[in-house]
Amino acid sequence: MCLAVPHVIQEILDGKKAVALAGAVRTEIRTDLVDSLSCGDTVLVHAGFAIEKLSPADSEELLALWEEVRSLAGETLRGSLTHDAV
Amino acid sequence: MNTVTLGHGSGGRQSHELVEMLLEGFRKRSIGPELEDAALLPGGYAMTVDGFTVSPRKFPGGDIGHLCVCGCANDLAVRGASPDFLGIGLIIEEGFPSGELAEYMESAAATCESLGMTLAAGDTKVVPSGAVDGVYFSGSAFGRVHTVHPLSMSNIREGDSLIVSTSIGRHGAAIAAARFNLSVDGLESDCAALWPLIKPLLSFEGLRCMRDCTRGGLGTVLCEWAESTNLHISLDEASLPVDDRVRSLCDVLGFDPLYMACEGCIVLAVSADSARGILDTLRNSPFCADAAIIGTVTRGEPRGMVSMRTSIGGERLVDMPFGELLPRIC
Amino acid sequence: MLSNVAAASEALKTLVAAPISVMEVCGTHTVSIFRTGLRSLLPQSLRLVSGPGCPVCVTDQGEIDCALSLLETGAIVAAYGDMFRVPGKSGSLASKRSAGFDARLVTSASDVLAIAENEPRNEVVFLAVGFETTAPATAALVLEASERNIANLSILSFHKRTPPALKALSADPALAISGFLLPGHVCVILGHEPFRFLAEQHGIPAVIAGFDPEQIMLGLVAIALQKKQGEATLRSVYGQAVRPEGNTKARELMESVFISKDASWRGLGILPDSGLVLREEFTRFDAEKRFGLSRLPGESPAGCRCGEVLTGRITPTECPLFRTACTPVSPVGPCMVSGEGTCGAYFRYHRTNGGKQ
Repeated sequence: MCLAVPHVIQEILDGKKAVALAGAVRTEIRTDLVDSLSCGDTVLVHAGFAIEKLSPADSEELLALWEEVRSLAGETLRGSLTHDAV
Repeated sequence: MNTVTLGHGSGGRQSHELVEMLLEGFRKRSIGPELEDAALLPGGYAMTVDGFTVSPRKFPGGDIGHLCVCGCANDLAVRGASPDFLGIGLIIEEGFPSGELAEYMESAAATCESLGMTLAAGDTKVVPSGAVDGVYFSGSAFGRVHTVHPLSMSNIREGDSLIVSTSIGRHGAAIAAARFNLSVDGLESDCAALWPLIKPLLSFEGLRCMRDCTRGGLGTVLCEWAESTNLHISLDEASLPVDDRVRSLCDVLGFDPLYMACEGCIVLAVSADSARGILDTLRNSPFCADAAIIGTVTRGEPRGMVSMRTSIGGERLVDMPFGELLPRIC
Repeated sequence: MLSNVAAASEALKTLVAAPISVMEVCGTHTVSIFRTGLRSLLPQSLRLVSGPGCPVCVTDQGEIDCALSLLETGAIVAAYGDMFRVPGKSGSLASKRSAGFDARLVTSASDVLAIAENEPRNEVVFLAVGFETTAPATAALVLEASERNIANLSILSFHKRTPPALKALSADPALAISGFLLPGHVCVILGHEPFRFLAEQHGIPAVIAGFDPEQIMLGLVAIALQKKQGEATLRSVYGQAVRPEGNTKARELMESVFISKDASWRGLGILPDSGLVLREEFTRFDAEKRFGLSRLPGESPAGCRCGEVLTGRITPTECPLFRTACTPVSPVGPCMVSGEGTCGAYFRYHRTNGGKQ
């Protein structure tokens, strides 16, 4: 229900509009739904409207979760190696 | 199917339904055509017919006149025939500016010149305002076949490799960008006349057949090949050449590059041992720097279908698109 | 070294020993899962079920017929591409357009304003479909039309609210779902709060995730971890976009224009407070009032089991119409027609019987 694509703000226009870039696509978007936008901000755009400013990096919590994924994956692979060796 | 819809013209499964209905009268009299881009005629010639209704008529990378010549010439070229003669039929809306019409014909003439193609026949009709959208071009082309054995999808066999000559979907993406007011720097239609690229490939014995991708994109051609041969086609997503600009546009509108129209992209089925040679020959041309081997023909299951190893290492089936490609917000 | 997705695939094999069912409630998740081939990387023990996350699919047939009738008044009807092939009794926007009626495809609500300004002598109606990700944009459109006194524009609101559907699902004792993968972009607007009840009242782990394969896999791992540890909380792996409080401005805009009302959902029946309709002060923009329409809930076409597919009770392959009477070329219900509908996605990406249809 929600195809939304990150866009980088290139220029803030008069009214509630901005020019933004999604990869190679340059388009005009509406900014009614997000405050305090500046050039260079990355926003999530859905149906021509910015719906949120994206924060730059993955949080500590997320990185920790990926670490846990890797250690679980390590367990599985070790488990299957032991099994095959039998 | 009671009425014809836009979906029937989009090149996917609905188009097949329309074509089969239209051919019923011919097939039962055993005078129906084979479903390839051009027909091989007795005496060593090939012939094709193609219609051009593109909107907008001028797009980054070309116009309807250039497209008409390229489309017809490419249909011949993929069956191993040189683009020798062309016929153009125009259906013109009353009130259409003659200057614009002259521009398109100039474009067509220039493209013919570059190919050594001769305009041998033509026709014009003017219809009342509103009966057509501006002008429609219809082309018919005729040329001599330069291969010893006919190129046809019935040649495809297990073990064959599949090659595309350039990055996919540029024409469809350029048209969509124009239609939905998206500006994409440097995105142009891939519309090009391909005979000069194809000619050197005809001497390869391992060349089974070729198709010009057009409506419905690469995905549609491969599905047609798989269905018609009842073999399995296995694609590798990571090998598919997709221009970043096309990818961005597809991301924004919710399209799949596999189904975006091309106008200068050929897909080839070749024997495994000739794949490298054909790829290298293609890459000699600046148009085909992105040519790549994208998959294999196998006897895998499900038969008659196309599967793809995705870029994350998963597997999924690739089907024909249904009807027009519509932008999504969901 | 394994890629993140491959590592998550391995991790799930360890974590999900006994079979579990996870429901994703967003059509965009459904499409992404199929298109990236992610399903083939999940262990057999993890069954992914698609819930009522396709706003087009859950639009009642009576509402679709209502929209089609507007075309017959000579009005220009503008809608997102997703709506064009949805079948009502008398056809679809696409078939009506082929028949000469003025159905226009838009990619943004702001396009509709431009159409209304360019065609001052025509009525322009916007079919406003979507969940809370999309409703704020419609609200912005109505506010601007109001400020600028645009007289020929109205909207037909099909907007629906996600939490009531999840309430109905989780209250159903027959529904055996071990975890919910929550829609990342709806949560961008709503935040965490409206979905906490899933974990706190029903003891079902719920994780908010984005739409790329890494996000989806991480979300599934987060659910599986909770299951394994016997926990049930609301978590988010999409902190890059989802703030716990959501997008307050977007919500306020939405609430200033819309009010919630009971609405009929295909497959779920009437859910209290689950639809969004225009507030009194914006009545003049309400197409229902302007054109004197009544939205009677339509009956589902005979044999259509979209409702059961939407609630995860059956898979598309268990519906007797799937692939026989109901195909993307001739769909019976919206689940088949919409690009993201479960049945359409299944048909396209998951055929198991090979060969022609």
